[in-house]
Amino acid sequence: MNLYLPIAEVSVNAPVLLALGALVGFISGLFGIGGGFLMTPVLVFMGIPPSVAVASEAGHVAASSTSSVIAYRERGAVDFRMGSVMAAGGAVGSFVGVEIFRLLRLLGQADFVVSVSYLLLLGTVGALMVNDSFRVILRRRRGEPPKPESHRRPAWHGLPLKMRFPRSRMYVSVIPPVALGVGVGILSAIMGVGGGFILVPAMIYLLRMPASVVVGTSLFQIAITTCLVSFLQAGRNQTVDVVLSTVLLIGGVIGAQIGARASQRFRPDILRAALGIIVLLVGIRMGAGLFVTPPDPFAVAPS
Amino acid sequence: MIAATPPPVIAPLVPAEAGPSVSAALTDAQVSVTTRFTGANIVLYGAVFDPQARPSDVVVVVRGPVEPIRIVRKVRVAGVWMNSRPIVFEGAPGFYMAASTRRLGEITGFGTLRRLGLGLSHLTFAAPLEQRVETRYGVADVVVSRLGPEYPLYRRAVVRLQERRALYSADSTAVRFVDRGLFRAEIDLPAEAPTGRYEASIHLFQAGQAVSSRKLTLSVEKTGVERWLYLFAHQRPWLYGAVSVLLALVSGWAAAVAFRRS
Repeated sequence: MNLYLPIAEVSVNAPVLLALGALVGFISGLFGIGGGFLMTPVLVFMGIPPSVAVASEAGHVAASSTSSVIAYRERGAVDFRMGSVMAAGGAVGSFVGVEIFRLLRLLGQADFVVSVSYLLLLGTVGALMVNDSFRVILRRRRGEPPKPESHRRPAWHGLPLKMRFPRSRMYVSVIPPVALGVGVGILSAIMGVGGGFILVPAMIYLLRMPASVVVGTSLFQIAITTCLVSFLQAGRNQTVDVVLSTVLLIGGVIGAQIGARASQRFRPDILRAALGIIVLLVGIRMGAGLFVTPPDPFAVAPS
Repeated sequence: MIAATPPPVIAPLVPAEAGPSVSAALTDAQVSVTTRFTGANIVLYGAVFDPQARPSDVVVVVRGPVEPIRIVRKVRVAGVWMNSRPIVFEGAPGFYMAASTRRLGEITGFGTLRRLGLGLSHLTFAAPLEQRVETRYGVADVVVSRLGPEYPLYRRAVVRLQERRALYSADSTAVRFVDRGLFRAEIDLPAEAPTGRYEASIHLFQAGQAVSSRKLTLSVEKTGVERWLYLFAHQRPWLYGAVSVLLALVSGWAAAVAFRRS
């Protein structure tokens, strides 16, 4: 059964799209990420113009992360105050990102920048995650005690504008979380991702937040940022295909709920290793196009 | 449909000495793009009236609405493939089909093909943004293309890329005479075909001369929900954005609630 998308102006197979949405939603709930980094490349591969894929995917991520935030909130695993601080940065970032994306489209460089960002970011983050989680797993296999947490204070400890975050039991400057939000907001607009794969490790290693609230809080910030991105993309670039994002989110929200439940059955280090491998593979796959000689030296610049 | 149409005006039959003429019609002059749209196949049928029954050739050309196309060239920079600055070709039709009874070169000469814009190599489009008028050697109005000698490469690339997307095609066997003087051709519109007004021109050739022609129009329009959404997204983009965000939030919330109950 085919479905004609009014904004993308292409015809796609609806059951395939629905199943993809559900699969990505499942992964999203399982690992506590938005799943955009998987979905956007798949949509582009299906023939949807990259600008429409990026913008519509933001709507899909917004829906699935909202659904997950509600599930996490019931376990008390969301630091709303920290999430809001990061989302304030995310708002600025998405404004900037949507404008950058607009400029890149005019220059015909959107797909190039997207490929490079995927390769560098996903490659680095994926490699770090795989390395880190395999060490933890190996230590456990050998029966060694887990490496003690370092209690060294982060370098940015002396920054001003301190704020209390009771849920995370922290009293820190708001500058690092805001900066993190700005960066992820820009990525979200350019790459059509929520940025969970960067947020989660950054919140653990840079912000030193307790692991119990990291996933829920990152999802909260992602939900806000992607809502804003999809609003701005629609208003500024008219590239949000509501039919596409609806089909994706029907599958996505259901998959996310199942995934969130399944996640409680696995050890976090195993989950992290699996996510790291997925992230790494997607990054390599997207970046491979940069090095392979194209079959045709010319291409239509996607508008 | 049946009730309102007035009786057709019957044109007087062409007298024998008026020479040969061609006439044609489409099975469907109005293509609706709906949710289930996967492309369309339209049959063009027509007849050649020639009392002397001289050997005839028919060329059918279908042009879609003009859609500027942006072409980038892949260039290798430090081992990485990058895009060059995009070149905009304006005036390129969003759809182009040339169908004929024989190879175009066998039907008529180069000049006629060029003048009538028949065939992929005679398509008229240019990259005006890349051209400027200069005065050289005291002679004004020299049109210089910044692409210089690479211009034909880009031009051929436009045709090749559009052919790959099934938007451009040329087939020298696609017009078939099914009976004496009666011919047919098929127009295949892919789902990616642009919406708007299409023009089909049918040319009759005898002994290398264009002796008669006919023009038909075909419209491809989004209808129903598709049209409504498209207009909504482009005319009220901010409201459309707000609605799509609301939709995302509500469905996310609904899914969470539904799963908590179960």
